[in-house]
Amino acid sequence: MISFALAAMTVSSDDLFVRRSLNDLHVVAPRLHFLTPKTLQHLHDGAIAPFDFQLTISAGSKNNVIARAVERFVVSYDLWQEKFSVVRMRDYRKWGMNASSSAAEAWCVDNVVIQMSQLASQLAGQQLWARLEIRSVDQKNQPAPVSDSGISIISLVELFSRPPRPQQDRWTLETTAFHLDDLKP
Amino acid sequence: MGDGEPIARTPVPQHHRRSTTNSLFDSDLALAPGMLSATPMKLALLPLVSAVVLFAQSGSSQSLLPATESSTTEPASDLNVNSKYIVESIHFIGHSYQLSRAAMDEMHRLIGARLSTEALTKLTTRLRGELRAHSVTFKLDRGAQPGTVTVLLAVDKRFDLSIPRFAYNSSEGWTGIGEGRVTLGSNVFTFDVLSDRDTEVEQFAGIQAKYERFATDRIRAGFEFDLYHEMYDPATRLALANQSSSSLGAGTYRSRMNFEPSATFVLAKPLTLTVGLSFEELQPEFSAARLESANVVVNTLRYHQRWEDSDANIQELDAGYGLRAATKMLSADFGYTRHSVNASYHYTHDHQIVEIGLALGLIYGNAPLFERFVLGNSYMLRGWNRYELDPLGGNRLAYGTVTYGYHIMRVFYDTGSVWDQGRSPELRQSAGVGVSSGFGRLQRGAFLLAVAFPLRQSHVDPVLIAGMNF
Repeated sequence: MISFALAAMTVSSDDLFVRRSLNDLHVVAPRLHFLTPKTLQHLHDGAIAPFDFQLTISAGSKNNVIARAVERFVVSYDLWQEKFSVVRMRDYRKWGMNASSSAAEAWCVDNVVIQMSQLASQLAGQQLWARLEIRSVDQKNQPAPVSDSGISIISLVELFSRPPRPQQDRWTLETTAFHLDDLKP
Repeated sequence: MGDGEPIARTPVPQHHRRSTTNSLFDSDLALAPGMLSATPMKLALLPLVSAVVLFAQSGSSQSLLPATESSTTEPASDLNVNSKYIVESIHFIGHSYQLSRAAMDEMHRLIGARLSTEALTKLTTRLRGELRAHSVTFKLDRGAQPGTVTVLLAVDKRFDLSIPRFAYNSSEGWTGIGEGRVTLGSNVFTFDVLSDRDTEVEQFAGIQAKYERFATDRIRAGFEFDLYHEMYDPATRLALANQSSSSLGAGTYRSRMNFEPSATFVLAKPLTLTVGLSFEELQPEFSAARLESANVVVNTLRYHQRWEDSDANIQELDAGYGLRAATKMLSADFGYTRHSVNASYHYTHDHQIVEIGLALGLIYGNAPLFERFVLGNSYMLRGWNRYELDPLGGNRLAYGTVTYGYHIMRVFYDTGSVWDQGRSPELRQSAGVGVSSGFGRLQRGAFLLAVAFPLRQSHVDPVLIAGMNF
């Protein structure tokens, strides 16, 4: 059922798909595995693994970013329930328990959302591109952009404006060009 | 489970703590209190505790487990999902370390409470500074009871410089060791520069280089190389000239070089056995004389146990038996067998301590000077001058000591004798008073500043003793 829906609502490349829900634009990256064996080992040792996500939509050309969503997710592994937990740092209230690492990865990707209201109606007919960038967070050398009031979006954007550190893992995926009209809720 | 196995896993009744120690990896501490309650713990922990194993009662764990959910919008209490579990124990992986009381208290506060990544990070930061480690990281493992977790601390001490031991004796001068240590995985390289005027008949200065590999938690292999330059007190030279000891295996030597491969096995947790070979080469003071070999088989059996109960009574027992046997099979120029036994019992209650020590020694055959027993230094029969007692040492030893302490004050009484076979022993006694304390971040052992008096009918000649870890 899900795969049928994806096929119906996405413009796909090999790595990144775009789909639209009622008010939001989501991406799906079924081949993406940012929880590497090393990270998984750390998780099974009870550590947390934070990742920064940035989803951008470009119009006209790939450099013309018209909408952006940034999120930090913190993954941990429940030693007793043997399940992965993911917390979305922006609001702390969004979290999920997932039986597998793949499900945890998919949960993260699915919770990076661009609201449709950000995409002006005049974009209809224009070529659009979606780009998803993921960086592991270097917990030792990078100050957390988190305060008592939650994560700072500005700080996250600044983080993505800098080149990644050598010790940071990084993934970048792009869709092929698509049109808003092709995405039906 | 984790790499380092806790000493005890089974829950024990509330108000009863039990702890054990392991002499191979220094001492371990284990506590098993009822700690889910927020009752402050009254613990008089010695700062010398190294590997720490603390246990929390694990009742009502089922209530800690949340219902399984695939996705929810309920608030997450902590970023780490394991923060809902109770910390059952904390201990180091592989090695053990001596910690300050403050660090011990911090660890105690974490036990029995819900896991806090932030608090654990603070702890590892403190330990990193205290242990002068490259890094201290933690891992989590399931506890013995559902709903509990064990914290495993991994210390990466790649490079360490320290002064593990020093002593000053107003009648003999300074003794000290400077040590550099490099740790690469389970391999430990140690390099010491030392000058020792205290522990043997001769005074010696030189280097020690040691390699150790922790093959498993229960087996440690090692290789040691020593090179010393020897010096002698005039009293020793005079006694040698008079040939006052017929059991002496060699005269004075200018230098001493030792190759010593060994392996240490944990037989049972508090009991270890070290077996090895010591290939010792002596360079006589007269260059025309040939090198002499004192090659021996080395065996050391050690027992180290520590107990603690709910009233903050701590008892510690350390005992060892050492055998060094020179055999023709090892092409030794000397034939002798050296037996040594030592035991110490340490009792602490609140701010009071009592220490009782015992040492016995026996040498059959003709052993070189460095093997012979001495009394009258900075830690045995304190206050006496060892050259006055016997400038060549003896092949028989009997020694006992009692120390009482309150807070940092210490008073002690030593008695013993060192003599040669065939002669009658003469019992000597001494007493002293001083202060003993730790050194904060350098608190790897007790610092002692004391004045010791030999108890004799003639004049009183006090000796000032200061030092650490002797």
